[in-house]
Amino acid sequence: MERAIKDKIRDTRAGFTDAQAGSAAALRDKVKKNCLKNAHRTFEQGIQCVQVNSMNALVSIQDSVMIIHAPYGCSACASLGAIERLNIYKHHRGEEESGESRIISTALGEKEIILGGEKRLEETVRAAIDRHHPKIVFILASCSSAIIGDDIDAAAERMREEYPDTIFAPIHCEGFKSRNHATGYDLALGALQNYVIRDAAPPKEKGLINLFATHSLSYADQLEMKRMLRAIGLEANIMPYHATYEDIMRIPAAEYNISVCQIFGDEYMAFLHEKYGTPYTVTCMPIGSDSTDRWLRSIAKLCGREEEAETFIARERAEVTAEIEEIRKKTEGLRVCITAGTGRGLAAATLMGEYGMQLLCIHTPYYERAYAEDFERLEQYHGDEFLINVADMQPYEQINLVRKYKPDLFIGMANWVSRLGIPTVHILDAKRPTFGYHGVLYLGRKIEDVLDNNNFNKKLSRFTDPPFRESWYREDAFKYIEFPEDIVS
Amino acid sequence: MKKCTERPRILCSLNGAVDTIGNIYKGIPILHAGPGCSMQAAVGTNLYYLGGYHGMPSSNTYEKEVVFGGTDRLRETIRGSLEVMDGEIYAVLTGCSMGINGDDVEAVVREFENNPYPIVSVDVAGFRGDTYFGYQATLLAIVRKLAEKTETDPYMVNLYGQVPSMDMTLRGDLEELDRIFAELGLKLNTFFIKRDGVAQLKHSGNAALNINISPWMCRNLDSYYEQAFGIPTMHYPGMPIGPGAVADFIRQIAARLSLQRDYEKVITREQQYVYEYFDSLMGNFERHRFLLVGESNFALGIARFLVNDHGHIPLAVIVTDSVPEKQQADIEAQIKNLECDRKADVYFENDAYLIEQIALRYAGRATLLLGSTYEKNIARKLDAFFVTATAPCLDKEILNKSHIGTRGCISLVEDMYNHY
Repeated sequence: MERAIKDKIRDTRAGFTDAQAGSAAALRDKVKKNCLKNAHRTFEQGIQCVQVNSMNALVSIQDSVMIIHAPYGCSACASLGAIERLNIYKHHRGEEESGESRIISTALGEKEIILGGEKRLEETVRAAIDRHHPKIVFILASCSSAIIGDDIDAAAERMREEYPDTIFAPIHCEGFKSRNHATGYDLALGALQNYVIRDAAPPKEKGLINLFATHSLSYADQLEMKRMLRAIGLEANIMPYHATYEDIMRIPAAEYNISVCQIFGDEYMAFLHEKYGTPYTVTCMPIGSDSTDRWLRSIAKLCGREEEAETFIARERAEVTAEIEEIRKKTEGLRVCITAGTGRGLAAATLMGEYGMQLLCIHTPYYERAYAEDFERLEQYHGDEFLINVADMQPYEQINLVRKYKPDLFIGMANWVSRLGIPTVHILDAKRPTFGYHGVLYLGRKIEDVLDNNNFNKKLSRFTDPPFRESWYREDAFKYIEFPEDIVS
Repeated sequence: MKKCTERPRILCSLNGAVDTIGNIYKGIPILHAGPGCSMQAAVGTNLYYLGGYHGMPSSNTYEKEVVFGGTDRLRETIRGSLEVMDGEIYAVLTGCSMGINGDDVEAVVREFENNPYPIVSVDVAGFRGDTYFGYQATLLAIVRKLAEKTETDPYMVNLYGQVPSMDMTLRGDLEELDRIFAELGLKLNTFFIKRDGVAQLKHSGNAALNINISPWMCRNLDSYYEQAFGIPTMHYPGMPIGPGAVADFIRQIAARLSLQRDYEKVITREQQYVYEYFDSLMGNFERHRFLLVGESNFALGIARFLVNDHGHIPLAVIVTDSVPEKQQADIEAQIKNLECDRKADVYFENDAYLIEQIALRYAGRATLLLGSTYEKNIARKLDAFFVTATAPCLDKEILNKSHIGTRGCISLVEDMYNHY
């Protein structure tokens, strides 16, 4: 089947790096002069892969079965992770009785690796259809199925002949495909267009806006985003989490497209613009008042609702200003380190600025030309000396730096830093909104709370140590990064 | 793997290996695998020392290594791991992509033989087998590397045969086993979680007896201990749960070790402890017709307790682990031998959809379902009470709760009553 969207990896985008380090000023200058090159980490810790994100994006689609063409292990994040997360999500929505997500592993073993696994894949498709009669069957490749050369496109083609009423969507999301695992989301969105929507061109629906979002967007934040968009007269179709076939088919009907952050869905929105002429904007995550202003204004500009947006912004800001000022008395001047996904981290850094804190260091999985302006914007709060460590987690570098910086507060996944006794706050929350103006307060209160009571981390640190050698802390945090200028070739 | 599986509850051999090394205090798994394997293979495992999968060293192999080979990448990854990570045992674990491209992992690991820390390599490429395969291969590899014999300690026992993450109450269960063995004056090596885990592995060659609690796993380890150190193995298939089983367990151990201590006194005390509680619950006792879904260690253990001690009626037991056909008959016979006139139906299945189909045959009859979080929805369809009793447990956080032994069976009973 001819695919409208060809597979593309994010590694080839201008200035892409997943291994770099330097001051905000240094990275900004290099990337703007097009001379930022990716470095090489000679020692790395665990990261995630493209397939996990394709899975996360598609596992929740209703009336579908996801086939993971791989040994058992590749279904972990769906089987033991995403499905349970979805159950929690349904619980929050009060939809516990709605249909379950269905995933089937082809359970490749040694025999299939040697002789090929397409026969097993076809058996699995038949089982999926006999059991669940789904509208859509997703077929996800894996490292092993790709290396042995199983042709999932051809298998899907054969299955289409056998089951003409079922949609088959093969996805080439093998784990080694890209260093940027957000590619996995691109592939998933591409599959929805290529195999589900195809050439459908429904009439535009007045006021409909697609909001493309990751699975990590909580239901509370979804509601908050919907509320804000409604204030400027838009009805959001949040995609693709928990979408039905009908929701997917509605994608081209939207008047506008936006996504949850800079790193999500931009490629697909560019495609939709080209094919359907749908205007879109790539903007920030609405965490913090300033980011929420920016987010709302850029969407309002798109649809000519600036006035409504300004009224909303003025009203909502007024509701929270007093308490922000109150919290700020406690947070003013505190020094902070942040570890988060690129979009969330950028937004969190502006929030820290609003609370008068000083950013020392931000760990971000990716840095590229397209994010330069967003990082530059942080300079107005934090100056241009703060360190940007481009690293998908890599706790060993994080801990080395945090031990040296001794920040007053750490924002992000606390597994390692909490063992140092430093106050830690996570900006993800499943139950309460972190987005929008009221989210500013919620996050501010979380920070206020940890500053007033850090007993847990403080006392824990007396009894536990991170898993790194004492000698490591005396080393340069970037000892294992070979910078391109150091590599003599 | 013989067939496709809907929502599998176990993972690949890399998962079994990560689970084994990650549960040893200061054990450092070094993955020679694709990005994502660290995340996927670690789901559900307890990497508490490493702080989670992001803490685990990995070569994160991309296209370059897939096409041109990954040995250089592995070399630098091992070097970094030894320098940065504070470990006492390091294990290089191969994933699918590097298993298929044929990297000579053993040769690279041999280059590091002279470093001060023990390092092993295990080929656990995902397609080689499942979690159970990975656990058995990895445990054998580290015992071979670490275990030594100076002289036999007549009071030391090794216990194995349970994949750590497949025991949802692991920590509490190990504490309960330690307690019972201490009552008998015995030192128990269970290797996992404990701060002296590596020392336990080293000294395990001095043990007087192994106890293998799996009806089918770790036969490779039984023979290694026998051949290398002359340690015999007692097979006690299934977790000892409840006063009856604990008494039986203690008597068997006492016989094998020719214990002089008055162990019957210990048995009486343990049984009395349980029945004090049962006595107070009498008015609330409700007899259930139950379905039980779980891997054989817990299926056997829980079924024995519920039928022989607590007096319930077994309708069906669905065994979910990869029991070879040869041992399936033994397990079935043990379940049919429970002290109850009505005999349970026994099934071996690990496909979530097929398990549901089997369970729904008992609609209208079953009043209690014990299983993993996967089965929670089935209980709703059956309108039966539900207890999360087997892995995976995704709907609650468990810290020191145990479901085994003397104290653990009390917790299990609590879980059977505290719901609505």
